[in-house]
Amino acid sequence: MIREEDATGREHRDPGIVSLPEEPVDEPRANRAMFVLDGFDLYFGRAHILKGITLEIPSNQVTAIIGPSGCGKSSLLRSLNRMNDRVPGMRVEGKVLFEGDDVYGQSVDPVTLRRRVGMVFQRPTPFPMSIFDNVAYGPRLHGLAKRSELDRVVESSLRDAGLWDVVKDTLRKPATALSGGEQQRLCIARTLAVDPEVILLDEPTSALDPSATTRIEELLQRLAERYTIVIVTHNMQQAARVSEDTAFLLSGELVEFGPTDKIFRAPDDRRTEDYVTGRFG
Amino acid sequence: MSETTVSARPRRGRVSSRAWGVASGLAAAATPLILLTILVVLAIFAWRSVVWNGLGFFTSTKWNLGNLYGGSLVVRHGIAAPQGAEYGMLVFVTGTLLSSAIAIVLAVPVGIGVAVALTSFSPRGLATVVSFFVELLAGVPSVVFGLWGFTVLVPWIGATVGPGMSKVLGFIPFFGGQAQTGLGLLASGIVLAVMIVPIITAVSRDALAKVPRELLEQGRALGLTEWEIVRDLSLPVARPAVIGAVILGLGRALGETMAVLMVSGSAVNSLPHNLYSPISTMASTIAAQLDSAMTDATGMAVHALAELAVVLFLITVLVNLLVKRIVRTLEQSPVLLWAERETE
Ligand SMILES: Nc1ncnc2c1ncn2[C@@H]1O[C@H](COP(=O)(O)OP(=O)(O)OP(=O)(O)O)[C@@H](O)[C@H]1O
Ligand SMILES: [Mg+2]
Repeated sequence: MIREEDATGREHRDPGIVSLPEEPVDEPRANRAMFVLDGFDLYFGRAHILKGITLEIPSNQVTAIIGPSGCGKSSLLRSLNRMNDRVPGMRVEGKVLFEGDDVYGQSVDPVTLRRRVGMVFQRPTPFPMSIFDNVAYGPRLHGLAKRSELDRVVESSLRDAGLWDVVKDTLRKPATALSGGEQQRLCIARTLAVDPEVILLDEPTSALDPSATTRIEELLQRLAERYTIVIVTHNMQQAARVSEDTAFLLSGELVEFGPTDKIFRAPDDRRTEDYVTGRFG
Repeated sequence: MSETTVSARPRRGRVSSRAWGVASGLAAAATPLILLTILVVLAIFAWRSVVWNGLGFFTSTKWNLGNLYGGSLVVRHGIAAPQGAEYGMLVFVTGTLLSSAIAIVLAVPVGIGVAVALTSFSPRGLATVVSFFVELLAGVPSVVFGLWGFTVLVPWIGATVGPGMSKVLGFIPFFGGQAQTGLGLLASGIVLAVMIVPIITAVSRDALAKVPRELLEQGRALGLTEWEIVRDLSLPVARPAVIGAVILGLGRALGETMAVLMVSGSAVNSLPHNLYSPISTMASTIAAQLDSAMTDATGMAVHALAELAVVLFLITVLVNLLVKRIVRTLEQSPVLLWAERETE
């Protein structure tokens, strides 16, 4: 039904559809904008990877980025904590503001930025240390050396990541002994331990089985109360389940950005609709 | 029809996989077998020296082939050697161990440092060029290093480095004293260091380059500086291979012959008393003396050199084991475990 209405006009906004799912979600949120992107362009050498991206990522909620393979989802996510810096020929235009500060400005130190904007990757890669040290490593670098404090941070991070009960008796074992899903939760705990404001996740469950995936999704929703979460995912159901807002990217352009309900049930753009209904991608 | 093809196929597979197993088993056994064979043959050949010298071989600093132009013979346990002959290995063992120790002390930090710089801190173009030269250097024949040492390094040590170090650091044991010609322990150690730096660099660099990029990315994403990534992620992951690189370099230093022969000063009968003393190493002595040893009608000189070779072989094996042991011990201690240091 919705599909038919949308098919009539591509970029045309239908007020009837917009008002449907949005209201109840939008009201209590009242979040501030954590990231503001304004006409953001990203180039890798000659390749124009992201084209004029303008969007606001609200705090304390899950925002999803979806789109077909190669459209620039990871590049966009990695632009937020300057993980693209080392790509040869990387160049940006436009602005990315993080709590009002220009991420690509002169005064921003990427190392400091990354301590405030944590990141979790597709493939969990524990550090070559024990489980305890994996989590304690970040805080130690920040100067936390007291044993009792470290114990507390490690326990609370592991609890938040839903891993404490699994590993509390094997904290001194090498982290590589954990299962894939547990390793991913360890990576999340490691990120949480440095107390970031934002957690970026790039397809964090694509290497995991369904039950491990469910655990991570539940975890993300709990964490959204305290952190701003941005997740890249290939899994439409996942985006629909966990996120409040969704951005749809296509060939480096932001086609549509809005409440997840709307993106999946009544998108403004025909291309979004084609993608979320599985007609391409 | 179909049955025969079905049954024939797996049988052929089994046979070939068994053949493959045997072949790879033989290949795996080949290296230790060859080593063992060489050692046994050498030991048999050295046996007359072992019997004639007894313990004196291991405790004496005197090495003298004796009167090789006729004269009377000294007979012990029914075995003859020339008059005045004396075979003690201590000078050569000391020279070998000290020069290799200097080489390792100098080459390990430089070699690993360059490897780290190449993999983590230099633009790709520069890294490629430098890596190319490092590999080139690793393949340069040792006699070339020896010649460089003799013509450039030795005069420099004799005129500048030696007197300078002696003046400034002379209060430290072994650093004081006359540098004289410049031939000796320090020159040998430095030439060996220059020779093994490329080996250590090349092997360590390959190991560091193999550390999964994802791991480094995760470190970066956690807000680690490049230096912290090297110290806590790259080096620990590459550590086994880096230790292998050091052992490889050490083996080369212990066994190096020509280059050391050209800069060592070929000491006999006296132990080094400072950094500038002339030395001899076991390998270079074997090469240098073989010619005159062949003129010994009793054959004892050659047998004694063979015994020296057996000892060198054993020392190389022993030192390798020792290095591995030391590394293991260090790994248990807080020195290497920076990340796990904490206060109460
Ligand atoms: N390090 C890099 N160097 C050069 N080009 C790159 C690099 N990383 C990504 N790209 C290019 O940027 C474009 C976007 O890649 P990106 O990884 O952001 O896509 P994606 O949407 O995350 O895809 P996927 O769903 O497959 O992960 C691609 O065309 C890719 O080839
Ligand atoms: Mg991606």
